[in-house]
Amino acid sequence: MVANAGTRTSGTNFSESLRSFWKKNGENIVLPIIGILGFLVIWQFASMAQLTKLPPPTSLWTDKQTQELLLYPFMDRGGLDKGLFWQTWESLKRVALGYTAAAIVGIGLGILVGTQPKVNKALDPLFQFLRMIAPLAWVPITLIALPNVQTAAIFVIFITSVWPILINTTVGVQQIPQDYKNVARVLQISPTKYFFKILIPSALPYIFTGLRIAIGLAWLAIIAAEIVMSGVVGIGFFIWSAYQNNYVSEVLLAVVYIGAVGLLLDRFMAFLQHKILPTDSRS
Amino acid sequence: MTAFVSVDQVDKVFPLGGGNEYVALKGIDLSIKKGEFISLIGHSGCGKSTLLNMIAGLDLPTDGVVLLDGESVKRPGPDKMVVFQNYSLLPWMTVRENITLAVDEVMRDIPKAERDQIVQQHIDMVGLQPHADKQPAMLSGGQKQRVAIARALAIRPKLLLLDEPFGALDALTRGNLQEQLMRICEENHVTAVMVTHDVDEAVLLSDRIVMLTNGPGSNIGGILEVDIPRPRKRMEVVKHPSYYSLRSEIIYFLNQQKRVKKIKARKVSVIARHGLEKVNLDIGYVPLTACAPVAIAKEKGFFQKHGLDEVTLVRETSWRGIVDGLVGGYLDAAQMPSGMPVWLSTGGHQEKPIPVVSSLTMTRNGNAITLDRKFYEQNIRTAADFKRYLRETPNQRHTLGMVHPSSMHNILLRYWLAAGGIDPDHDVQLKTIPPAQMVADLKAGTIDGFCVGEPWNVRAAMEEIGFTVATDLDIWVGHPGKVLGVREDWANAYPNTHIALVKALLEACHFCNDPNNAAEIRQILAGPNYVSTSPDYIHLTDPIDFRRDPEHPLSGYAHHQFFGQGVNRPSRTETLWTMTQLARWGDTPLPRNWMEIIERVCRVSVFSIAARELGFLDISTFSRGPIQLFDGTVFKSDTDPIDYLNSQAIKRDFSVAEVVLDARPTPRVA
Repeated sequence: MVANAGTRTSGTNFSESLRSFWKKNGENIVLPIIGILGFLVIWQFASMAQLTKLPPPTSLWTDKQTQELLLYPFMDRGGLDKGLFWQTWESLKRVALGYTAAAIVGIGLGILVGTQPKVNKALDPLFQFLRMIAPLAWVPITLIALPNVQTAAIFVIFITSVWPILINTTVGVQQIPQDYKNVARVLQISPTKYFFKILIPSALPYIFTGLRIAIGLAWLAIIAAEIVMSGVVGIGFFIWSAYQNNYVSEVLLAVVYIGAVGLLLDRFMAFLQHKILPTDSRS
Repeated sequence: MTAFVSVDQVDKVFPLGGGNEYVALKGIDLSIKKGEFISLIGHSGCGKSTLLNMIAGLDLPTDGVVLLDGESVKRPGPDKMVVFQNYSLLPWMTVRENITLAVDEVMRDIPKAERDQIVQQHIDMVGLQPHADKQPAMLSGGQKQRVAIARALAIRPKLLLLDEPFGALDALTRGNLQEQLMRICEENHVTAVMVTHDVDEAVLLSDRIVMLTNGPGSNIGGILEVDIPRPRKRMEVVKHPSYYSLRSEIIYFLNQQKRVKKIKARKVSVIARHGLEKVNLDIGYVPLTACAPVAIAKEKGFFQKHGLDEVTLVRETSWRGIVDGLVGGYLDAAQMPSGMPVWLSTGGHQEKPIPVVSSLTMTRNGNAITLDRKFYEQNIRTAADFKRYLRETPNQRHTLGMVHPSSMHNILLRYWLAAGGIDPDHDVQLKTIPPAQMVADLKAGTIDGFCVGEPWNVRAAMEEIGFTVATDLDIWVGHPGKVLGVREDWANAYPNTHIALVKALLEACHFCNDPNNAAEIRQILAGPNYVSTSPDYIHLTDPIDFRRDPEHPLSGYAHHQFFGQGVNRPSRTETLWTMTQLARWGDTPLPRNWMEIIERVCRVSVFSIAARELGFLDISTFSRGPIQLFDGTVFKSDTDPIDYLNSQAIKRDFSVAEVVLDARPTPRVA
């Protein structure tokens, strides 16, 4: 009896909660879909009406070769002829390396610069100068300076993404509220404890902001780097060679991959931020 | 006992951009005993927090030294723990972690288990057990402040420093926390210094209240002892007799600071016109029946008539305000009790002689001594009856109110008491209270009687709170009441303005003296700009005998004299007598150069010129002759003051000293 009654109520509850969920979030789901479909439809017509030489979105399916790539992302025929998943995976590995290096160097240097005003004075102009150099401009320099294409690509990612981390960390350390510093001074807290219990937690929101900006930049940089550094497996070089061979619909497919991965990376960082930061210092 | 904390000649200067500097604090001297609770109060930006930070060691003095337990404070440390205004809890830690961090750092030598116990004990102490594992973001403001207090007390500081600890809290939470803090401080014998801007909070919590003047160059404007016994309860302290006087003292101080600031900012230039050096005058007065000449001169246009186009009357609630205004230079002239010019000139105010001259006596009489109704029921009708009563009740402390040490009320009251064999300092207690507050204090029972100008005696009698035990007729008929006083340097800088001012007021006195004008004057005085009371209480002629006691009628009623022969001319004899009385009660020394002082205080020449120019020839030269008091004493102009003082039975140890009045250079007058 009791169990029955329970199930029934939970049954009605389920449909009810579905309804209330739809009421609350319906617009958030429907409107973006309408927006995207509208965009695709306009593009389709523009393409069919010969307004642009760009193939229509449907070419992802109608084009034989692209359809194959779309259906088999995990294929591997050796060499550079790999499915799009593997291409992306290779790029992501490079990004992971460069980005990790950037995070370590950026946070470490940021704390140093943030706590030592003299170091800040000495290095700030240099940082501001280097930060303005576009990823593509680094490519020729790194190709000359570094032994191989792999390292060069990683370095370009590093150098592009290190700045926001470095600068945000510096600001975060500089912006530690005087109150917290006063508490530390009054309690005469040891330097190690100050570092872990006050400096890091206090600067964390800034550090995360830097990391989140940096992941986007790193992903932008890998494409640029790979397009130029020929002969590597990666989504950037894939686009480049597809363009060289005039496989335009393949380029479109790769672009969808790039956008999707970028979105996922940002969501992932936001999720981390949400998990790690305390409630009231979340930015 | 030596000082636990001592702040010694501390200055604090902050550098500003462009090579300038801002002197925040100048010459701060303060010593704090162990277990004392001190409040620092003052307006925003007066440097209270800076002083606190220097005691904490968070900031170092530019000059001078702060000592804690005999050691110079050079850097912050857990022995002088601070409770910050915005709590300063670390938001990424729970309540328990916040306190643990402090305890672990400070008490490294004791075992972990014991430290945890201390943490737990302090969480319980502030009643936060249910919230111990929450982060500060989930707590209310009051709860956060309790955590901050618990964290501060847990490390057993020698000195607890609180920077506006309850500033951001609502009234109810604040009240609760104040009581908790008080209890904790008492139980643990904590020495504490608290910065606050809340007057009631300061009075409730403190043993002493340090009042800081406004910056730049703030210093200690005064220190009040709070004599309310502990343990104190928030609802009960308000009933303590000292509570309101302390409170009003602080509020007076703060208001005065605000005014000084405003005046400094105003910078009015001197306006000269009609051959007068200055026609824009600020004239201070205290609302009393005796302010009639000042009020009439303003309302009936006598100031304008004599060329003083821009006279502003500045209402002060107490004579102290008049003193501050004149000394501070923001009043040009003021209505004063007759003893005030000589009191100021002989160093009554902060032992600094400030030459003040008087060239017009505006009123005579109009004062009386009122005692509580309960004494009437005890059949007390004279000073002798009162003495008998005092002897019968040696355990009771009787407090009588007067308005200012230099006022005729104080002098007459003391004289009357002493003539009746009562020592005014030992047998009773005299207390300075603003005139308008007398009746309320008598009603509340915080004083047993008072001597004050009208209308307050009449009012107390009509409301049957008190009864008039003696009037001017019983003490000294025709004694000087209120005079016009200006600083000597002012009189020297603006001689023609001075004469015009005396003329305007003398004419107003003449107007007041005409019985046909009485009704109009009563209406004006009763208005909100002046005494602000019912016209029923204001009498310029004989009132009814409101005691309704046919067996013991009042010996008479000496109503105000505003004008006449010997009324308005400053009297040298009276000035000398006042000098002897001030010396008799130890307010000022008797000047060895009393002749010189009298000549400088009594500007008879200005009065004579003014009276002649107005055509009052008969009063311009008339002199009053000897003073006759009710006890049969006659005081003549050639009475030797030292012999006279020696002949008095009841007196303090008076001193005779040369009073040096420097001829100060004429300062800029506001």
